[in-house]
Amino acid sequence: MKKQGKIAAIFLLPYLLIFVVFRFVPSVMGLFISFTKWNIVGNPKFTGFSNFKRLAADSYFKIATTNTFKFLLLVLPALIIFSLLLAVLFNQKMKFKNAARTISIIPYVLIPAVVGIIWNWLYDNNFGILNYYLKMIGINPIEWLTNQNTALISVAIVTIWSFLGYNMILYLAGLQGINTELYEASMIDGANKFQTFTKITLPLLKPITSMIVTLTLINTIQIFDQIFVMTNGGPGTSTLTLVQYLYSTAFQNYDLGYASTIGIAILVILMALVGLQSRLFKLDD
Amino acid sequence: MVKKIITYIIMALTSIIFLFPLAWSIISSLKPENKIVSYPPQWIPNQITLENYKLVLEKYPYISWMANSIFLTVTSTLFVLVISSMAAYAFARLEFRCKKIIFTIIISMLLIPIQAYIVPLFLLVSKLNLINTHAAIILVAGANVTSLFILTSFFKSIPKEIEEAARIDGCTDFKIFVSIMLPLSKSALSTVAILTFISNWNNFLWPMISIRSDNLKPLTVGIAQFMGGASSNASFLYGLSLAGACMAIIPSMIVFLSLQKFFVEGIANSGIKG
Repeated sequence: MKKQGKIAAIFLLPYLLIFVVFRFVPSVMGLFISFTKWNIVGNPKFTGFSNFKRLAADSYFKIATTNTFKFLLLVLPALIIFSLLLAVLFNQKMKFKNAARTISIIPYVLIPAVVGIIWNWLYDNNFGILNYYLKMIGINPIEWLTNQNTALISVAIVTIWSFLGYNMILYLAGLQGINTELYEASMIDGANKFQTFTKITLPLLKPITSMIVTLTLINTIQIFDQIFVMTNGGPGTSTLTLVQYLYSTAFQNYDLGYASTIGIAILVILMALVGLQSRLFKLDD
Repeated sequence: MVKKIITYIIMALTSIIFLFPLAWSIISSLKPENKIVSYPPQWIPNQITLENYKLVLEKYPYISWMANSIFLTVTSTLFVLVISSMAAYAFARLEFRCKKIIFTIIISMLLIPIQAYIVPLFLLVSKLNLINTHAAIILVAGANVTSLFILTSFFKSIPKEIEEAARIDGCTDFKIFVSIMLPLSKSALSTVAILTFISNWNNFLWPMISIRSDNLKPLTVGIAQFMGGASSNASFLYGLSLAGACMAIIPSMIVFLSLQKFFVEGIANSGIKG
């Protein structure tokens, strides 16, 4: 056993060293800094809970939280429903199925900034192709990204477009794992296709759905690059999200203590949501 | 029959939804600036030019950005694979003190988003004099918890009998690790490789904060400079930004299409294990 300890140390050392220096220590430090006032110059000054009090009264933080949740509500149901429908579609015996499946993952492998630039062009108020087609079918042009009421929805559409194929693959793997005998048995029992879907397919896909919800929560709470490129939080504060706010607090205003507090708040929100989802899905593993 | 046709129509429509933004951007990037913003939109341009692409390559260190991205993604992915598979072997197969506690602490970091510790991380990396170096990105990418988690659970699922025979034959742990564990774990390793590859290729927030020099930036941060739109910025050039974006599609597509099977399997596996 003693000898194994030595060998284990060699196997573990590179990973542990990196993990401790670049993940563990900063995480613990983040917690400490969040209780201080610190503008990079000089030393952090311990201020107790004053950063957290400031957070509770901060209107920008409130806006950023609301926007992040709004964004989540726009993206999550659409992603679940559309990716499930697509997976069911692609699970049938069809020609060109593989080609269509490949095409649907392409947006996911593109750099978010690239996706942002492409959609900024489609969304352009005056020359964008979307408004052109809307006009053709008699709808007034929409100020997609430049109107406070539509900017967040417009960014959400892009996020759905990017992640749909990825989630579809996850569902497809789930569907292919379902034993076909279950379908046959339910057919013999006289269930129609819809009943089979709601009574057999959906319950069996619960673990995958739970995972997609978790991944979407993590990705949307941390949404940054797409918004940074497309709207940079604007117009006004209509697309200001939590990470955007943290970024500007830390690296534009150099208010490091308070930025760490926002970071802790993001962590708490994420933990609460993930905890809530695992309770809702009641996964026992 | 009617049902079949409807299914095919839906399939065609979804493919169009996914492809049309790309197609329209590529076509637009091949037009001269004054033709890009002309009305009505022209799907078949009457004048094709590479002027926008030339302009991007002249005005920005675009080739360096792309080389940086490729270098950073490949080295980070290899680094993650090596150190996390080694650690995973220790957690799955070796006995040592505080194993459970160490593993639990590592896994509990899975949910802590980088934003929660990015400020101290920045300060720490500055103290180590690593700001504005590629090492900063590769080392931070190495602290990857997901990979350790996937690999440890996969190694645990491999039956011990196989290596016990080798151990009796006098094989060391290194030999067992390299010539038994790793070859048996190809599927898990490729899943980890694909997931790490995608996340590093798309890495944005940390490189943006840690890299200052323009010619050290990865593509993600470099092309973010082309942001904005004609609606918000009068001097903005669509041709330039679209050409920059379209060139960045090329490496993504080459890697994706050549490793397509692994991508799909990697994503699917991550779901089944998760």
